Amino acid sequence: MEEEHNSNEKENALCGRSLTAASRDGGGRMPAAPLAQGKVERGKVYSGDGVLGYLEMLEAQAHELGLKQEEKEQQEKKLDRLKARVQELRARRDELRAKVELQEKRLLDKEGVMADPAQPSAQTVLEWKVKSLKAMLQVFYLTGISGKLTKQGVCFCISTAYEGTYLDSYYVDLLIKPLVKIQRHSVPVFIPLEQIAKKYLQTDIRRFLSVLSDHLNAYVGRRHQADQLEEHFSDHIDGTLQRNSLCNLLVFNYTVSSNSKTFPFNVRLLYGDLCCSLPTEAIISCTPGTLPLLAEMAAAHSNAFRHMALHKAFDSLINAKESQN
Amino acid sequence: MDNSVYQVYEDEIQLLEEEIKLLSDKYEDIQQESTFFSDEEVLIKLFQREFLAEHKGHGPPLDLKAELESLQRDLSFLVKFTGIQITSHSKKTLEKTGNRTVQKHRLSGNCQSLPFSLEFQLLEVQNKENVSAAITDLSIAIESGQHSELSKFVSRAEENGNLLMFFRNLSSYAEWCEHRRCTFLHFKAKYPNIVTLPEGQEGDHIILRNPQLPGFELMIVWKMHIDEEGTTTPVLDLLPKVPQQEPSHANRWKWSKLLSCTSTMFYLKALAKMQVCLLLGSSLGAEESIY
Repeated sequence: MEEEHNSNEKENALCGRSLTAASRDGGGRMPAAPLAQGKVERGKVYSGDGVLGYLEMLEAQAHELGLKQEEKEQQEKKLDRLKARVQELRARRDELRAKVELQEKRLLDKEGVMADPAQPSAQTVLEWKVKSLKAMLQVFYLTGISGKLTKQGVCFCISTAYEGTYLDSYYVDLLIKPLVKIQRHSVPVFIPLEQIAKKYLQTDIRRFLSVLSDHLNAYVGRRHQADQLEEHFSDHIDGTLQRNSLCNLLVFNYTVSSNSKTFPFNVRLLYGDLCCSLPTEAIISCTPGTLPLLAEMAAAHSNAFRHMALHKAFDSLINAKESQN
Repeated sequence: MDNSVYQVYEDEIQLLEEEIKLLSDKYEDIQQESTFFSDEEVLIKLFQREFLAEHKGHGPPLDLKAELESLQRDLSFLVKFTGIQITSHSKKTLEKTGNRTVQKHRLSGNCQSLPFSLEFQLLEVQNKENVSAAITDLSIAIESGQHSELSKFVSRAEENGNLLMFFRNLSSYAEWCEHRRCTFLHFKAKYPNIVTLPEGQEGDHIILRNPQLPGFELMIVWKMHIDEEGTTTPVLDLLPKVPQQEPSHANRWKWSKLLSCTSTMFYLKALAKMQVCLLLGSSLGAEESIY
């Protein structure tokens, strides 16, 4: 549409010029009418007729000029917008900076409670309380057992952690009437949930959750150790680490060196206690015939695996090896 | 005009927007963390007439009230259920950049009747799917007093930074202590003439004395051992006390009979709660029946 408008403008401009040209010429009459009437159609080539060709060229130039003009205007507008936005944001940023500085200064001066001099509105107080309660509930998450009351009972959330790192959390949605029952849960299949529920759910919900939490934390701890081993020591392990879904059976191979000869070791870790994240058995096997030589080393390694976290034990064994070499 | 001119402005805009977000988060965090309204103030505001008048029965403000009440219900349930009551909690945002937040928490409260106080830093990193959390710089203070056995467990927990296990195990330990306290009180109430609690109900031993057998005493010690891993093991011990002078033959016989009954039962070292009660009950019953 703009183009149409422009072409009309151009037409008028052309007409204007041609008429002026005609009048300047004095004698030689050039009929203005045919030009005014003639509509320049784009795409059609008027060959041969020099004047029309010239006019076409002029028109094209004007068109381009118009476009460039517009483009320039748009660019300037955009630039102005951006500049304005930057100003706006700078002002907001400076305002916030000042606010925060004032807050921090007040805190240092300890000018009493941070309430506004005016009475705080109900909205402010309640919003503060809601945030404060949510923070408290987050702390319960950190303690391992948290939950939410539901219409028919409670939905407990069991969080797990290994040392300081929080890992997965699991849900157990309980119905409490007429009997305590598990409505829904996100506990993995290989955890003996039914057995634990059968033993404790009806009589002592706290004990039920406590035992379940022990199982889940131990499982997650074993899995985490195996993951850490794979992540950090994959180049020291021959092949891949084999494990079952409950992560209570881990098998892997690595090489040890003795008297500048290398020997393969196969480790089989059995976690007999499902509530424990350390193995009850660490069986190390070597190629037949080499055992007498390596018995002491194997015993030491087995001991390390049984008393330390897997990735830490492996780390210490690797470093001991390297320091030997 | 080429795009590089725009780019300069657009880059600045983006930087400013990020900075504004950080600043406003910081402002809100400081505001939240440095303000305190007591429960009374909150209650007052909750029923403040202006508040009810401000928003006549519809829209977000009532949702705020409902949300507040729902959170309070959940919290009081958890306190009752877990026995962990937090009496003061303060947190301070130390660092908030991009997807990383570090907050310092100070917490004190009771676990059953065991007071605790701790401090830690919580690092949260926003990943694609979830938020990962890790604890660092954990520092725990427990009133040792009668619970000196806790010190090894506490220092191990501080080393590992395993706040979760600390709470799980402390809960378990505190529950056992609570159970011991209830058991002692129960027998004190049932056999007031025979049973004494020299260290009160929080103590770890109970003394049985029969007024008809002066000089003879039976001390039942019920200690809670908590190992470094945090596993609580109740340990029962029986300590008889016999007067130095030669007791009469009859008394001696009565005493040894009582002792053998009680010791057989006790040295079974029952760990189950019910069995301990039964044991104490039977021993006290035996004592009564002999006389």
